[in-house]
Parts: sequence; C-alpha cells; structure tokens
Amino acid sequence: MWRVGIDVGGTFTDLFAWEEETGQSVTAKVLTTKEDRALGVLQVIAQARLPIERITTLIHGSTTATNALIERSYPPAAMVTTEGFRDTIEIGRQRRQHLYDPYQTKPKPIIPRRYRFTVPERLSAQGTVLKPLDEEAARRVADRIAELGLGSVAVAFINAYANPLHEQRMREILQARLPHAYIALSSETRPKFRELGRFMTTAIRAVLLPVMSAYFDRLSTMLAEQGFRGSLFVIKSNGGMMGVELAKQRPEELIESGPAGGVAYAAYLSVRAGFPRAIHTDMGGTSFDTSIVEDGRGLVTREYEVEWEVPVITPMLDIRSVGAGGGSIAWVDQGGALRVGPQSAGADPGPACYGRGGTEATVTDANLLLGRLEPTLGGKFPLDRGAAEEAIVRLGRRVGLDPLRTAEGILRITCENMAQAIKMVLIDRGRDPRDFVLVSFGGAGPMHACFIARALGIPRVVVPAYAGVASAFGATAMDIRHDLETFFYAPVAGVDLARLNYLYEQLEAQGRGLLAQEDLPPDRISLSRSAQMRYIGQSYEVETPIPVGPLTAASLPQIVQNFHDAHRREYGVASAQFAPAFVSLGVTVIGHNDKPPILQRTAASARDPRKGERRVYFAGHWLDTPVYDGQGLRPGLALRGPAIVEYAHSCAVLPPDTAAAVDEWENLIITVG
Amino acid sequence: MALSAMPDSLQQPTLDPVTFEVLRSLFEYTCARMSQILQKTSFSPILYDMVDFSNAIYDAELRLLGQTANCPVHLAAMQFSARATTKRFGVQSLQEGDVIVLNDPYEGGTHINDITFTMPIFFRGRLLGFAVSRGHWTDLGGGAAGGQAFGTHIAAEGLRLPPLKLCERYTINDDLFRIITNNTRTPQYVEGDIQAHLGALRAAEAELQRAAERYGEETVRLAMREVIAYTERMTRQAIAAIPDGIYEGEDYADTDGFSDDPIRIRVKLIVTGDEMTVDFTGSDPMVTGAINSPMANTYSAVYYSLKFFLNPDAPANGGMFAPIKVILPDDCWLNAKWPAPTIGCTTLTSSKITSAMWQALAKAIPQRVTAPTFAECNWFVCAVKDPRGGQLSVFSDLPAGGWGGTPYGDGMSVTMDPLGNCMNLPAETAELLFPVVYEAFELRPDSAGAGKHRGGLGARLQIRFLGEAELSMETARTREGSPGVNGGGRSPVQRLTKIDGSGTRETIGGWTEDGQWKKCLLAAYRFAPGERFLFESTGGGGWGNPLERDVARVLDDVLDEYISIEAAREVYGVVVDPVTLKVDAEATQALRTERLQKDANGLAQQTPLAAQPLHPVWGQVQAVPE
Repeated sequence: MWRVGIDVGGTFTDLFAWEEETGQSVTAKVLTTKEDRALGVLQVIAQARLPIERITTLIHGSTTATNALIERSYPPAAMVTTEGFRDTIEIGRQRRQHLYDPYQTKPKPIIPRRYRFTVPERLSAQGTVLKPLDEEAARRVADRIAELGLGSVAVAFINAYANPLHEQRMREILQARLPHAYIALSSETRPKFRELGRFMTTAIRAVLLPVMSAYFDRLSTMLAEQGFRGSLFVIKSNGGMMGVELAKQRPEELIESGPAGGVAYAAYLSVRAGFPRAIHTDMGGTSFDTSIVEDGRGLVTREYEVEWEVPVITPMLDIRSVGAGGGSIAWVDQGGALRVGPQSAGADPGPACYGRGGTEATVTDANLLLGRLEPTLGGKFPLDRGAAEEAIVRLGRRVGLDPLRTAEGILRITCENMAQAIKMVLIDRGRDPRDFVLVSFGGAGPMHACFIARALGIPRVVVPAYAGVASAFGATAMDIRHDLETFFYAPVAGVDLARLNYLYEQLEAQGRGLLAQEDLPPDRISLSRSAQMRYIGQSYEVETPIPVGPLTAASLPQIVQNFHDAHRREYGVASAQFAPAFVSLGVTVIGHNDKPPILQRTAASARDPRKGERRVYFAGHWLDTPVYDGQGLRPGLALRGPAIVEYAHSCAVLPPDTAAAVDEWENLIITVG
Repeated sequence: MALSAMPDSLQQPTLDPVTFEVLRSLFEYTCARMSQILQKTSFSPILYDMVDFSNAIYDAELRLLGQTANCPVHLAAMQFSARATTKRFGVQSLQEGDVIVLNDPYEGGTHINDITFTMPIFFRGRLLGFAVSRGHWTDLGGGAAGGQAFGTHIAAEGLRLPPLKLCERYTINDDLFRIITNNTRTPQYVEGDIQAHLGALRAAEAELQRAAERYGEETVRLAMREVIAYTERMTRQAIAAIPDGIYEGEDYADTDGFSDDPIRIRVKLIVTGDEMTVDFTGSDPMVTGAINSPMANTYSAVYYSLKFFLNPDAPANGGMFAPIKVILPDDCWLNAKWPAPTIGCTTLTSSKITSAMWQALAKAIPQRVTAPTFAECNWFVCAVKDPRGGQLSVFSDLPAGGWGGTPYGDGMSVTMDPLGNCMNLPAETAELLFPVVYEAFELRPDSAGAGKHRGGLGARLQIRFLGEAELSMETARTREGSPGVNGGGRSPVQRLTKIDGSGTRETIGGWTEDGQWKKCLLAAYRFAPGERFLFESTGGGGWGNPLERDVARVLDDVLDEYISIEAAREVYGVVVDPVTLKVDAEATQALRTERLQKDANGLAQQTPLAAQPLHPVWGQVQAVPE
C-alpha cells in the first residue's frame, strides 16, 4: 500500500510516494494544469504508474486558496459588522508599504465596501451586552444580501471574541433568509482580540469557502472515479495536515499549503539525520523562501500577512520571502551601482540563455557562464550559452568589469542578499546562525547554498536526496495538526484557576473532537498547551509553554519563568519590573503518522556516481571540476570541492575547500569550513 | 547653511562595483538591523508599537551613510544631533564605548521627546564612524503627560538634555541615569528603552567592525565615500530633470493655540541645473505656542518632502543633502530658538512644510507631483479615570486622513502622513485596557478632494468616555481642507465635536454650525462620563479636473458610498439615478458639457467641495470665509 504526497505548485505538480511494505519510493513531475489544478493531480499519479486503488493515504498541498485570494477570483461575498466598523478591513492599521513612494496604492479590499453592511449591536470587552442586536435591521441586511445574490457572508462584530451570542443570532437571521449561503463567524474562525486580524481572517474564510469546497469536491469525485478509496488529506499552513472535509470548512488554514511541505521535509530531516536546528531555504526562479526548524517543527507566527495589511491570524509557518531566484535580473541603477533583483525574468521570457527573447543577464546566465550549470540541463532543455555571455558582456561593460568577474559578482551580490534575509529572520526570532545547518531546496538553491552558508558562518549545508520534489516528500512525513486558541486576558497574579483549567479542558476536548473526525487511535494522539502572554502594559505577546494537566497555584511560578525565558529568547530581554498576563490560551493536538523509512529507489542502479569533469570558474580561476550524478549518490561516499553534483531538477555546487559526505538517507552533507 | 556633506569628487567610483554593492547593501542592512533590535527590545509602546524611532550610521567625518527613517521626520535631524555631539566633546576626546545622549531642541534635537544616542565606532583604535539611534520617548516630564503642555516656554515641555556622556567605555553613568528616571511619568520604561538603544548601537558597531575585518579598513572607508557620492549623483540627476525656475508654494497651521490667525509658511524652490535652494523667506516669525520648529526639524521636513520626488530609491544618506540648500530667516517659526516651545514641530509643522513644498513642486513638475495629503498627525492624548476604581489611564491615538490624488490614480484612504508611518490603536485593545468605547472608526464619505484622480478618504472616529476624561490634541486643516493640484478640488475640513449624553453636538475645534471658527488645539479638554469625542479627519486633495474623471469610476464610488449621489452630480457632473443606481448618460453628457463651458468662460471655477452641503448625516461643511 502506498502513501502519496502531491504538491501543486505554480509551475509543476510534484509527486513523491513510498510503499509501506517495501520502503520503495517513486517520484514524478508534470506541468501544473492551471485551468483545473485537480487534473494535474490525476496526471501525476498516472505518470508515476501508481496503482490508484493501492493508495491508502494521499496528502495534497496546493496554492489554490492563495491564488484565489491574491487574484480576487472568488464569487462576490458580503460582510456584516458592528455599526461604525464597516471599513476595518479596508483601513487596516493605516500604514503604507513603501516609505517614500508617492504613487503607491493599497491592496483592493477582500470584500468591496458596497457589499459590506452594518447592524446596530454592541458588546463590551468583557462580553456583556451594551446594545442588543437590532433584529429588524439585521433582517433588512439579510434581505439586501439575498437581493444582491451573494452566496457567502462574513459576520464580524466588535468584541465577539468575548461572546459569540450576537454573531450566532445574526447567523440564524441570515440562514432564515439565505438557507444555502456559506457563513463565517469571527467568534468561530479565530476568537482572538484586535479587530483587524479577526475581521480579515473571517472575510478570507468567507470568500474561500465556496472556492475550496468546489475544488475539493471535484478532486474527490475525480479520484473516486479512478478507483481511489484511501483517505485524502490537505497540507495546512501550520506545517501539519487535516482531512479534506475539515479543510472545506477551514479554508483560511490553507494559505501557505504549498511551501509548508518543504518545511515538513526539513523538519523530518532534522529529526532523522540529527540536526535539531535547521534553516530551511528554497530558491526557485523568482523568490527565495526561508524559515526556521527547531526540534522537528517549523517555527510558527501569528502575524502573517497575505498582502500588505491583509493579516491572517491563524498560526502559520513563519516563512519569509525575498526577491532572489535563478531568474533575478542583474542591472545597473541610475547611480551606476550593480544590482541584482528583485525583478525577475520569470519563466517567460526567462533568463537570456533560455533563448526565448530574454536579453537581460540573470543569476542563471551567470551560473551557466561560469560552468556551474550544465548547458543542456541533462539533455532536457538546451541553454544558449552565447546569449548568456552576450547579456553579461553588455552588463559588464557598463560597470567596467570583464564578463567572468561580472558573472561572479552577480552571484556574490545575490548570495549576500539571501544571507542578509536569513540573518533578519534569525535575529528577529532571537537565534544565532552559527547554531544551525542550512537545508537547501529549490531548483536554484544548492548552487548557492555553500556561498550563503559561508557568508553567515554556518558550518554545514544539507542537500536533501529528494530536494526536487521537496514539498511532496514533506507531505508524506506530516502529522495531523490543529492549533486551537481562545481569548483569556488575566494577570497571572490573581488568575482564576478554575476558569483557566476549564478553558484548557474545553480546548482539549475540541481538539480531540477534530481528531476523532480523522479516525485516529488514541495512542497516536498527543496534546500540548501554550499561552500567548505579555508584560502588562505591552501590546505584543510571546508564546509560552504551559504544563499539561490540572493547574494549581503551585504551577504559576513555573509558568512565569517559562514566559520570562521565552521573552528573553525571542526579544533578547526580560524584565522582573513588569508583571505578566495571559492574553490567550492555545492547545495543539497532533495525530501522529508513519514517516518515510530509509527508502529504496525503484529505479536504483549501482552506477558510478562520477559521470565526468568540466571546467568551472571559482574565485578568478578555471578549475577542473568533477561532476557527479545526484541520483547515484550512495551512503558513505565522500567528495571534496570543487565538485558539481547534478540532480534531476537542480545541481549542487561545492566550491574549493569544502568536503561532503553522503549519509544513510542519501542526503549530501557539505562541510563548508 | 547647507548640510554640506560632500564630495571629494563626483568621479566614477574607484572601488570595484561588486564590493561596492556588497558594502552598500551592508550599510543598509546595518541600519535595518539596528531598528529591528530597537523595536524588539524596547519596553515602551510608542517605540515597539508605533515605531516612532530611527537609526543611522555615519562616517568618521559625520556624513550620513544610511538610515532607516522609520519616521521620515527624523531624516536629516539626526545629523544635527551627531554634530552637536562632536562639537561639544571634540572628536579627539571620544573613546570606544562612549555614548552621548541629547534631546535639546536648540542643540541637535527637535522636540523634547525625541531623544538621541550617539556612539563613535572604532576599528583598531582608529575612528571608523558613528552610530546614532533616536526614539520618541513617552514622557520626559514637563507640564503635561508626553510634554503636551502647550505652554509658552520650552521648560514646560520636559527635561532638556544637552549632549551628555551617558556611557563611558560601555558603562552607564548612574547619576545621569537617575536624573532621567526621576524626571519622567513613566520611569518603568527608562532602563529597558536605554538598553534597547544601546543594543542597536552595539549592533552597528559589530557590523562595521566585522566589515573592516573582512573587507579591509581602507575598502570600507572608500565604500563610505562612494556610497555618498552615489546618492548625490542620483539626486543631482533627479533635480536636473526639473525645469530651471523659481516655484512658490504656501500652506499654514490653523493656530498655535494662542493666535486667531493662521501661521504661514511661504517657500520658494529655486532650481538651477542640478541644484536646488529651498528658501523660507517670508514665512511667519516665531510664535507663542508650541509649534515652532527648530532648524533640525525643518531640515528633515525639507529633505523627506523632496525625497518622494527625487529618486526615492537612492539610499537616504549625506549625498542627498549636498545639492539642496536651505535658507531660513533668523526670526522664523521654522527656525526656533530658546525659549520657544517646540513639542508640535514633528507632528504638526513638518507636515505643513511638506504640503507647501508639494504645492510648489506642482508648478514645476505638474505631471509627476501628487496633491497634498491631509497633512496632519491628528495625534491626541487622553487621560481617563476608571469610573469604579478612580485609577487614571493615559492613551493616545492618531486617526489618519487621506493622501492626495496622483498622476496615476486615486490617493490612499486613511494612511499616516508622510512624516511617519505609525499604526492606529485598535478599538478592541483600547476597550480592553481603558474605560472607553470606540464607537466608530470608519471611512468618511465625501471627505476627499475631487479630481480626475480624487484624494483618498478621511476617517470618522468616535469615542465614548466611561469615566471623567481630559483630552489634548493639536491639529489643523480645520479652516480649509487639503488643496488640490492641476485643477483638482479641495477636501472638506477636519472637525472636532463633543456629543453629550442627550446627543447634542458641539463643535469644539474648527467651524461651528453658525460659522464661527474655534481653535483646533485642545489642552486637557474635559469630558464627563458618557460624553463622546467625534473627530472627522479629511481626505487628500484632488488631482486634475473632476469633470474629466471616468464616468464608470464615479459610479463605482457612488456604489461603494465613497461619494454621495449629490457629489457625483454637483462635483463630477455625473447624473446617477437614486433608485436604479445607473448613470443617466445623456444628462451626464449635457451637464459635463455645460460645466466645462462655464469653466472655459471663467464664469465658475469648479465649486470647491468644502462649500457643498454634502452629507446629510454629518451636517453642512462650512465654506471658508474670505
């Protein structure tokens, strides 16, 4: 029986699968079918020649939700808020994205003002009723929404995190008039305080409900028609997964579904191969993503923004992106400086060497000119070295450098940019780069990983065996995970312990309930608690671990200590001058899955990994450099730089003065020194 | 006086372009990292939440290398701080680990609450440069919380520190520390915030020393010179693209709290080749109230205002100062001297300087300039007593207004003015922590200047106080709204209103219903429990003739209720049926033709929005008496 991970990305749909009985594995890749992404899922299964009826578990990652959101391609939806707060999702926090751009605009509202309605009602911050819901007015709003033919509605009232009553009544009134509408309540979506995040997340749920329901229904039907009888799971933004029925109800949790698979792979490696702290990096054609993995888990943030001032407050992996990729364009700015990115030539026209009309020098052109990239991409796609050279010569002339130094310069600048992006992430989360290994994914990643690591003082780089299908591999290594939260503002001193225990028990019951829907045996379930806490007088929170089981007065000193420690780690400081308070409580429930074992490749052969030699330019010199076949690397093999390792969809560059070994999972571990 | 920063030469760089780019981006990164550390480790909300701070690095000759002006109003001012520091102590006497603190508005500062820390950076015993960190501190004493005493003497605004050594060899001077701690209403923030500033300075020190280690000291010094020359080249190119000439602009503050007359800025931009002179001759003399701007603040306003249109992508460094000279009359409210109070200079005065300069630019580069913004900070501070315990809470908020229309589209609605980039206070945070109910924070329809590209909208903020409250606020744009450019309209005025328990409205700042104008500067204005404060901010000015606005976009604005059906007809000449909400194409065509004809005949310049009774709910917006 097979466990299958499928990641539908912007360009490719990737598959990775392993057979539970034999440990055999298979990978496949097809072009993403943009008109209907579900078609590509079937195509990639067919290409992998997997017997669909022998698939027990299919785990699916997809950018469908993100794309629908960013392109605003969803059926028009309505929003109902407390009077006075019709425009919260349009005003945001009144900041601008670019400090000095006089022409900038803000993203288009998720739901336009003409479809946003208000009703008289008001709750206090403590959840008491200051003004009852005006049911007459509520019915008029329902009538208006029906008249307009809007099929989904976000309901978000001020202070509803403290009391869901008015929102629930509003839903009844809407349902009476609109029996088939999708309705999202802010008190159910994420009952957390600060209106912008909760309102926006609720609006996002409302607009995605019809889109994702239709998509998953279509996919389930198509799979069933082909004979699929296993369980279908979906990758969540928090680095875990959930069953497809739940995914239809919680579509806002799918925003980072794509990249989350890669982080799961890095997390799996960190546990299996024994590096507790890893920096996950993924460099593709246009962007460079990075995130932190610790103790087998990606770090999570609650401050994610889909676009400028469009926050999603559901816990998401803290993945940061900068505009650096293989297609990044090198250019000379008005002041005469050589710059790289963030503009990218993308896939079309692409780098100059693609021969599709691109004339500007890119990172890929530089790699080709220096011999680091093989000019036929393994026979799959012939690159035009002449065009690359021409573009780089032209650029070099403008800054007074010969072509080779220009090419090396482009790579050096782009690697420094990526190194700075990593430093900002690490420092932002209070971590030191030297404690980490760098895990490199993406088509352009392993070509630059050693240079980035050197710039940061990171001693080791890992190029994973299945880097070409990282997200799909990661999908098969995932657990089911739900993060539940409830608001609870209380200074630790004098906290109502009975209430605290009651709320945790409630959250845990909710979490068990969600897992029960996935048919998991109890011995595969684990629970952990946390609290968002802050110093009184501050306005940001720090995630603090909380012990499981009944909490007593004796538990509190430990909780306070945990908070100080967490605060010191994230922010570098802690202060006994300020008393701490709880702001919200969280419970994470995990349903543990089987992880891929040491795998056998189905197409394995005992061929010699060394497949030739070519001249590669490093630090001002052409060096004879051995070239290895990444598919042929077997445990125990040792390499020395300079060397090139070519994989199906990427290649690793080992500069001089590096050494590498292949571990038992066929990962390439490079010591940068 | 020019902030002459300049160039040994404007020749092509002699550093290889790759090393140059690596170090250029390292200088930028160094400042970004300073700000990241300051924001993350500070304890006072105004720093970590409102991001009212900036960080910068300088070369050994005190030329700005790079800056994260999280607050643009700090842009040039920090250079004055660094120079005041070396002037007082002499470069020779400074040692590794020294940190000089100051906030004196007349000796390198701007207003009392902006406190600046300067640290020399050494490499192997030789001075390599300076790091400077500036933040707005919540309170440094004075006659009212946050220095907002609105008095007539600087002494009322808090503790005034000349350049003083806070640290010697990395050790804090305990005497000075205790003086500062003793002179604030928020002593609990002092230690944490000082440590945060020092952390930012140490980060810059470490980055520059590491760079000198890795690339060589001389290479780093060379890169410092070249990065400044690089910005100067870009700035000169941008100035050269403006036609030579003298361009005048004007704006004003409504009052300084004492004056019934506006306080005026008159500015001339004199463009000659690739240089520009900004001349404030003719602006009003120093005033009694707290809106005087010290030279450092005025310079900041000049440079950040121009940066929007003079190559915003060039790194903010000393290179942009050299080709731009500033002329300030000796007795001028934009050149404050002891003992003039200055607390409002950053939040109020700088935005008026921007507006005057953008109106001057509109004459120079009409096709590139945008219309002025609401040009305010609208910053208010509230002290509210808890109705049960009697405990006093103090909080502040700054409801933004709209930006002006641009050559490419409409301005942004409810966005912090160019001078800063602070966030508002969420209603749910306010209600959780303070005895208030935020009853509304929403767009204010018909609040934008009309235009082919209209301004962004202003907001309507309404707060109900549950206990006795005192509110202090200084604002403007209550006499007239934001001006338009290229034929665009003016926005309606801002207004401050008190609503009592029975719903009766009283204008407490701006135009009243019966045509009186009331001073828009409130010092500790009292509200009884149950009373409400309503503030209506204004939108940005319009860009281009509203009669040329695309009819479909006017209809969209009506459907989204950004504008009323009346405004669509009266101001945009678009007739929309109130029942079907469809455009009457024929009537629109006729109306627009007639109105354009009138315009051409000079019979009626377009009716300013400010003169229109536009919104039935919020009453008539008053015309401005001549």
